[in-house]
Amino acid sequence: MNQTMPSNPNRPRWLNALGLITLALFGVGAYLSLVVSPPDVNQGQLIRIMYAHVSVAWVCFLAVIASAVFGMLFLWRGRKIHDVLAVASAESALFFAGLTIIGGMTYSKPTLNTYWTWDAKLTLTALLFALLVGYFIVRGLLEDPQRRGRVSAVIGIIVLASLPFNYLAAEWFRTLHPAKSINLDGSGVQMDPTMLQVLLFNVGVAAFAFLYFLFERVRIGRIEIAREEALEAPSGSAEVVRV
Amino acid sequence: MPEFGIVLAIARKDLLQELRSRAVTVATIFFSGIVLIILAFAIGQEERVLAGAAPGVLWVALAFSGVISAAQSYQSELEETAFEQLLLYPVPRATIFLGKLLANWLYMVLLGSLMLPVSAVFFDMPLGPGWPLLLLTVLLGTLGFGLIATFYAALTANLRARESLLPVLMFPVVVPILLAAVRATGAIVQLGNFSLSLSWLQLLAGFDLVYLVVCTAIFHFVVEE
Repeated sequence: MNQTMPSNPNRPRWLNALGLITLALFGVGAYLSLVVSPPDVNQGQLIRIMYAHVSVAWVCFLAVIASAVFGMLFLWRGRKIHDVLAVASAESALFFAGLTIIGGMTYSKPTLNTYWTWDAKLTLTALLFALLVGYFIVRGLLEDPQRRGRVSAVIGIIVLASLPFNYLAAEWFRTLHPAKSINLDGSGVQMDPTMLQVLLFNVGVAAFAFLYFLFERVRIGRIEIAREEALEAPSGSAEVVRV
Repeated sequence: MPEFGIVLAIARKDLLQELRSRAVTVATIFFSGIVLIILAFAIGQEERVLAGAAPGVLWVALAFSGVISAAQSYQSELEETAFEQLLLYPVPRATIFLGKLLANWLYMVLLGSLMLPVSAVFFDMPLGPGWPLLLLTVLLGTLGFGLIATFYAALTANLRARESLLPVLMFPVVVPILLAAVRATGAIVQLGNFSLSLSWLQLLAGFDLVYLVVCTAIFHFVVEE
């Protein structure tokens, strides 16, 4: 095993700075949603869960879209960095989907007195979680990097295409059964301006966290590619491989 | 259009092979029947509950059988490097996908048309005057199901653990198909509400159209070596 390492295995400064900024913003977001935001008329203090829950959910869908777009770029150009970006987005999407489900269950226990409702959005996220797990199962089974990148890009595109249908189906499934329908979101469009600002700030925080995860994962991905290529290359020509 | 002839030729090859071996036909027909019986036992013996569950049971049986038939359509290609030879033909890869899809779809439509009266008898489900709409539901539902099944079967064909992987990958994608098909069937046979079933049929048609385009467009990335 030769010791080929990329020129800079350490985390660059700007990435550390981004991480610290994200952490600081997270603190501000927590302060805004726990202290500054007024309690909700209907849900009282429980509304504070919503800030965390809704923001991770939105960023989760953003990450799914990003993964499919990077996958398409990989299919089009065949550059490994796009595959790394697609995986990085998919991993974040899986993480945020998990957080969304946990947040949704936490939210629905005190408001609806049950951990699981077949609410459209919660069902959609559960399906999305299953789809993303499938993405990583297949990825783990493929050895050849090119084929692995292609197949995962294809699955990423299918996952993105499935979102509107899953949403429609889950939504209609609910609305066609008025007996069961309990309006989960007391928020909706008519929202207090302070609350809306706090929510949007928290969405921004989650987006920053996504960006940080993305860049950090890409950094690791570059090291992985360099290592894979170093192992493939004949031992005589062991050079630093730039990606 | 020469491509259309190629699609037909590939579908004909698959159907002819099935007609001669009857491997999938026997297995899936009995498997669907067994699923009907098992679910009937699981649901209980109350007539009203059984009749209410009938559309769901019918589509679960069709879905499970569809996985078997789609997996088999690539399983047989793996022997004697048949699939590699199929890929050597100077035709767009999408025609291979469409040919296999056509064969799988026709097969599932036949299975669905057979299971419809069988479940009607088992679960006391009146087919009634809405049978043309029911047939349309079977046509659209099995097309969407066949699309995803054929696509993912190609994707998993040369992976380890493909038998367990195919349902894990495809069922989350076909959930809207199953849901819409079950609701449409229920609206037709239980509520007699044809206009309600039409909105579900629209969802099915939209799903079919979008995935027909998407899967055809990206299929060649799946089989490319």
